[in-house]
Amino acid sequence: MSTLEAAVLQADGDTYLLPERIADLTGLGEFGMGGELLAAFIAAFIVGNLMLAMTGVAGPWAKRKITAAFTDRIAVNRVGPFGLLIIVADAVRLLAKENIIPEDVDRPAYDLAPIVVAGSAMLGFAVIPMGSGVQLADPEVGLVYVFAVSGIASVGLVMAGYASSNKYSLLGGLRAVAQNIAYEIPLVVTGMSVVVFAGTLQLSEIVAIQAEPLIELGGFAIPAWYAFVNPFAFVLFLAANFAEIGRNPFDTPEAPTEIVAGYQTEYSSVYFVLIYLGEFLHIFLGGAIIATIFLGGPAGPGPAELGIVWFLVKIWAVFLLTQWLRSALPRVRIDQLIEIGWKGMLVLSFANLVLTAILVGVIVA
Amino acid sequence: MSTDLTTTADQIDEDGLEALIGDRALTRDDHKNAPGFVIRPDEVQSVLFDLRDQAGFDHLSCVTAQQYDDRYESIYHLKTYDDPTREVSVVVPTPVDEPVSQTAEPVFRSADWAERENFDLVGIQYEDHPDMRRILLPETWQGHPLGLDYDQDKPQVVKFAQHANPLEADQHDTESDTMFLNIGPHHPATHGVLHVKAVLDGETVVDVEPDIGYLHRCEEQMCEQGTYRHQIMPYPDRWDYVSAGILNEWAYARAAEDLADLEVPEYAQVIRTMSAELCRIAAHMLALGTFALDVYGDFTAIFQYAFRDREVVQDILEDLTGQRLMFNYFRLGGVVWDLPEPREEFFEKTRDFLDELPAKVAEYDDLLTGNEIFQLRCVGTGILEPEVAKQYGCTGPTARGSGIDVDLRRDDPYGYYEHLEWDVITEDGCDNYSRVLVRMQEVEQSAKIIEQCIDLLEEWPEDEREIQSNVPRTLKPPADTETYKAVEAAKGELGIYIRADGTDKPGRFKIRSPCFHNLSALPEMVEGEYIPDLIASLGSLDIVLGEVDR
Repeated sequence: MSTLEAAVLQADGDTYLLPERIADLTGLGEFGMGGELLAAFIAAFIVGNLMLAMTGVAGPWAKRKITAAFTDRIAVNRVGPFGLLIIVADAVRLLAKENIIPEDVDRPAYDLAPIVVAGSAMLGFAVIPMGSGVQLADPEVGLVYVFAVSGIASVGLVMAGYASSNKYSLLGGLRAVAQNIAYEIPLVVTGMSVVVFAGTLQLSEIVAIQAEPLIELGGFAIPAWYAFVNPFAFVLFLAANFAEIGRNPFDTPEAPTEIVAGYQTEYSSVYFVLIYLGEFLHIFLGGAIIATIFLGGPAGPGPAELGIVWFLVKIWAVFLLTQWLRSALPRVRIDQLIEIGWKGMLVLSFANLVLTAILVGVIVA
Repeated sequence: MSTDLTTTADQIDEDGLEALIGDRALTRDDHKNAPGFVIRPDEVQSVLFDLRDQAGFDHLSCVTAQQYDDRYESIYHLKTYDDPTREVSVVVPTPVDEPVSQTAEPVFRSADWAERENFDLVGIQYEDHPDMRRILLPETWQGHPLGLDYDQDKPQVVKFAQHANPLEADQHDTESDTMFLNIGPHHPATHGVLHVKAVLDGETVVDVEPDIGYLHRCEEQMCEQGTYRHQIMPYPDRWDYVSAGILNEWAYARAAEDLADLEVPEYAQVIRTMSAELCRIAAHMLALGTFALDVYGDFTAIFQYAFRDREVVQDILEDLTGQRLMFNYFRLGGVVWDLPEPREEFFEKTRDFLDELPAKVAEYDDLLTGNEIFQLRCVGTGILEPEVAKQYGCTGPTARGSGIDVDLRRDDPYGYYEHLEWDVITEDGCDNYSRVLVRMQEVEQSAKIIEQCIDLLEEWPEDEREIQSNVPRTLKPPADTETYKAVEAAKGELGIYIRADGTDKPGRFKIRSPCFHNLSALPEMVEGEYIPDLIASLGSLDIVLGEVDR
């Protein structure tokens, strides 16, 4: 029985966080505050790079392959096995490009925007319990924190749109704000219905509660994932999430055929990569939130050590869904989008919250 | 004014017309396709008003302009939507030293752009025209290229300061709440190099003005420099270049065959009909795919599926003509060669395509027209009322989507269409959705036509397969024969006006482009709508800039 196994087991029952574990394993914990800080950095580095690696695979390769499969094509297959090395080629290509900064842009807002967009998504991953003991922090207000930091992205999009000194960018930025305001509320309110069930905002707790069996079907227990407990909330959350991250059919802020590329029209080279990266990180963060509060987080068959695998599978499933929608659904018009948000989603999400509250109240009573 | 004229509009014959125009007609100048009346430049509007309101000529098909040694001449080719074979030409000569003629714009909105083009290329001024600017060439162009005194070798020297500053109008107007936006010429959804000057109020389109001419390639002049027999035929392929080549070739073939009185053997007519309909399917597939692209916003499944299916048609056309886009398959008096050997293989391939088509169309119905979001986007947007469409000279699927029952294949029969079973598709929605439905159903009708053609070709006795009639090596139609003939191309009425000058090259070659006139109706469709609807409406018009700008 190694310390690692013990740590894993401990992490499953209790919140034994990744920084602490690294501190214990490396002995950094003995150096006091500085050592713990270093351990925390190492842990953040690991998680951050895991996510970046995922976007690296998703952006240049998986997205192409998936779309190609939907649209009767082959996509990248020349560079490396299954075209995988295109990731390297694309990285070099994108970074080697000239970073063109138009004359009239409003600096430093123009330069900050890509960092804000990508950074806000990265921050969200700090509190997500990814299973196998991978969780950086577990504050009691975990869910609120995730919504809060991912909402910062809107600021980045407005900055990008406004600072670019381009009318298409401006239109895209304005659309992004209008859309995020309209869909953030249903998103959070629907998230609240889960909190009503779970009685906690702490993400590790929410995950733990979902592990309990909902019903037994012939010796096979269906876990109490909130997607099963309240499918309506799940669908609402999924839809609001797609709008929040600006994916089809709600990709109006970019709307390539209408407003060229929206807020990212003027960005090139590294800045473009950062914004693009930010978008994928947001898709994955959205997937992570959905997995955590609706799909039981890292839960899945097999030993608990496989937690992170199941977690990633769930995130990628959400990503796959975004690509599927992208290949199959038209984009709604901006006024229709706002209408759906304010007149449909908002009402439904509040109805869902009230019903959930009543239901939980009755059961508890 | 012959106000006592009591004949009903659709009963008027040539004598009636003569009576209607009365002594405003200086003389007659009949064309091969229609009676022509020569009138004074200051009576254009009164004659056209009478012809429109009292004789029912509601379609200003084309406005040709040309310069002779002693005069300029504008020709208004009028038709009726109900019966395109009822035609009349109004010829307006103007003196060389003062080429000013009254505008026809108050009578037909389609004269707006047409007269601007004539001013631009030939140099005739139209009095009281609301917007007498150049349309195809840049504002700074010197001279009028199709005028007789134009010096082609003189370099166009334009000072930098003379250029209109494209950014000037870009500055914010502090007085108003609107925003000026240049959509194009480099924009993902303008289907080529189109520049739309848009004024926006928030997301709402207040005003749009299409700015064309970026793809002007002097097609008319090039055709005037080629010989009838062989040198002109390759050009039509390059007008509407998205695989509608054979339909365009037919426009030239029909006009030239009418001009030179050439017969086309029946066997060749069947092949022509079949190949033209294959082209129509390819063109409509592309229209469908790109429209889906405009509405869906990404290269989605529909776009790729449309291309996949178009690819099959292209393969068949490649087998037939040896080319995939620039077919050059027609010849005056027939086609260049017979079906590829072994014929059975060609028939089988084509039949396979036709057999698979219904399933594919059903797939499009599922993915596209049956999709709720798609309907949300397209139903009731980009409204083009039939009266407006007629005013702007809209034809083809654009007109049929507005419920105008017009199709030259049926109304002004050519080729082998009149012997075949097929229907003209119309939809009454007048919106983007209707135009898509029309195109999708036309694909099915084209398939029906092709199937019948294949049946005919299969049965055709081997010794009667005459692909070309006997056409002289050098064609020299008699001087001053003029004709205007149109065919139903993928986008609408593609007409060619040719005036022979006694040589083996045309004296004047004028192309009536359906896209040009359809596009001119864009402002009517989108003002007051949202930007996404502007893009969708533009897509639903299915323009090809190669044909708009020529």
